[in-house]
Amino acid sequence: MTKHLLALFWQRYRQRFWALLAISLVMGLILALLNVTTWNLSATDTLFGNQIHRWEPYLGSANATFSLYSYWLVFVFWLGGLFLMLLDRTENFNQFLFASGYRRSVIYWTKLGMSLVGLVAVAVITTLEQYLIYWLHVPHGVTLNLAWPGVLTSWALGLAMSLGMFALSWFAALIVGQTGPLMVTIGGFTISLIGVVNIIQGLLHHWTSAQRDWLAVGLWLAASLILWVWGAGLFGRLSLEHNGEYLLFPKLRLPLYLVFVVYMTALFTINGTDLVAGAWTFVLTSLFGYGWLWRPHWLEDWRQRHA
Amino acid sequence: MLHVNQLSKTIDHRPIIEEIDFTWQPGEIVGLVGRNGVGKTTLFRAMTNQYVADSGQVTIDDHDLQAEPQFQQHLFFIDTQYNFMGNYRLRELPDFYALVYTNFDRDRYVKLLQHFDLQLNDQYRRLSKGMRALVNVILALTSNATYIVLDEPFDGLDVIVRENIATMVIDEVADQTKGFLISSHDLNELDGLSDRVLLLKESRLAHDYNLEDVRATAKKVQLVFKDKVIPEVLKQNSKLIRVSGRVLVVVFPEYTDELDAQLRALQPVLFEELSLTLEDLFRANLSQDTGYQMMK
Repeated sequence: MTKHLLALFWQRYRQRFWALLAISLVMGLILALLNVTTWNLSATDTLFGNQIHRWEPYLGSANATFSLYSYWLVFVFWLGGLFLMLLDRTENFNQFLFASGYRRSVIYWTKLGMSLVGLVAVAVITTLEQYLIYWLHVPHGVTLNLAWPGVLTSWALGLAMSLGMFALSWFAALIVGQTGPLMVTIGGFTISLIGVVNIIQGLLHHWTSAQRDWLAVGLWLAASLILWVWGAGLFGRLSLEHNGEYLLFPKLRLPLYLVFVVYMTALFTINGTDLVAGAWTFVLTSLFGYGWLWRPHWLEDWRQRHA
Repeated sequence: MLHVNQLSKTIDHRPIIEEIDFTWQPGEIVGLVGRNGVGKTTLFRAMTNQYVADSGQVTIDDHDLQAEPQFQQHLFFIDTQYNFMGNYRLRELPDFYALVYTNFDRDRYVKLLQHFDLQLNDQYRRLSKGMRALVNVILALTSNATYIVLDEPFDGLDVIVRENIATMVIDEVADQTKGFLISSHDLNELDGLSDRVLLLKESRLAHDYNLEDVRATAKKVQLVFKDKVIPEVLKQNSKLIRVSGRVLVVVFPEYTDELDAQLRALQPVLFEELSLTLEDLFRANLSQDTGYQMMK
């Protein structure tokens, strides 16, 4: 049964994975070539700085800037999570899957597993391509002092962040039933994470960089796991009559509203120098969230009158 | 046997289907009729797990499809409004269906496409409405599922293709291994095809008609009387289908020998039996339901 389901998903997604791989390889090539043009290495240099021997993500040296795990790949995972979940709704493949006789949980976890394997494969192939470009551009005499601590930590953090981004966009596409608002929601939330990262870094300023990085790995993985498991529960109860509505699960309206208001208020309060910004954020997000999630009739009437 | 057991579904606080309950055997062609928006497609979507039902269940040979979803592979339904096939070519569709319906007959699929002059390289979304409906029926027939749901299958088809499909459906049930549940808002489409008709009305299953039984007792008659007064026996025992001048076309749901004698005793100027259509039967049974008469 599961073998057939895997074949079904491969039939469905293979063209998309090939397309994503092709785009990723092109972008990976461009980014790697852009990196090597900034290198300023002489024959006595080493390619990597001393940081490569430490258990922290490698950020490049003064002479040769590059990362061992490209941020582009984080975006690939984000994009993959979004579209793998979104397109099955917009192209009505969920109808076929739900009527196929496969248990919803089996559908969900098989699709998730296959998506992750596919995206990790894209990441590995793209990275190998980038490493190849770097290797080909290493000047004669420069020592290739690659070391496992830097490589593994870069990959651990990069992959954990990628999985986290994948989980976020995957989950958002599972609960939001309108494409445009989904893009706005997940795009806005993803950008807002920069603020969250700043806040966390501020709170943990006495930690070492390596400690913060490993904490990030843990947080990303924990968040991913929570979102995947929660998503599995929701997927099992997904009823397709809500397609086209902002929320595919109407019962999430109130929790989402509260999370939105609290999250935005906290973000602006902690980052702000006084409480006024936080108070304004609270009022505005309360009103905006209410209008956005409940679409009250008076607001709709007003919008139509002024359209 | 497939059993739809007390199935209910509410959408936006409005009950769309309520406590729908019927059984369906292989070998049967069951018609599902009702006005537009009465819940026919919602019933199919709830039956096939696209909509999560509020209550009730669907069983196949006593296996609950929620608890044992693998039995859902015996039930075939293509949502004509929302399906994934738009971006695919006709030659690609069996690659999907064969993975779900393990007895899918690829050879027959290709032969039927050729028979109806459909090209394997045609993209589904580029087909006309009628051609898409035809592909849906071909997929249904070649899936070899035991229970096949066809939602408005004749919509947009020309009369020749419609007859072809009706013949194929009748041939399919001949060996009693397959059953069809066919929805339509046009009763004429089901005439001569269905053995049984389910009538959905106001979200509920209002009637479950065995057409053979109904036809055995009902009669449609064209009458002209000497004067303009409609006899009491007519008012009490028949439903008026049509009036044209002094010509009355009526249906007697329960036509008996005694009634026949009473009518002939009135010495009508014209007394002619007409062929009884499915539409006549429903008008006769639901003539007080003006809404139903507007179905066509």
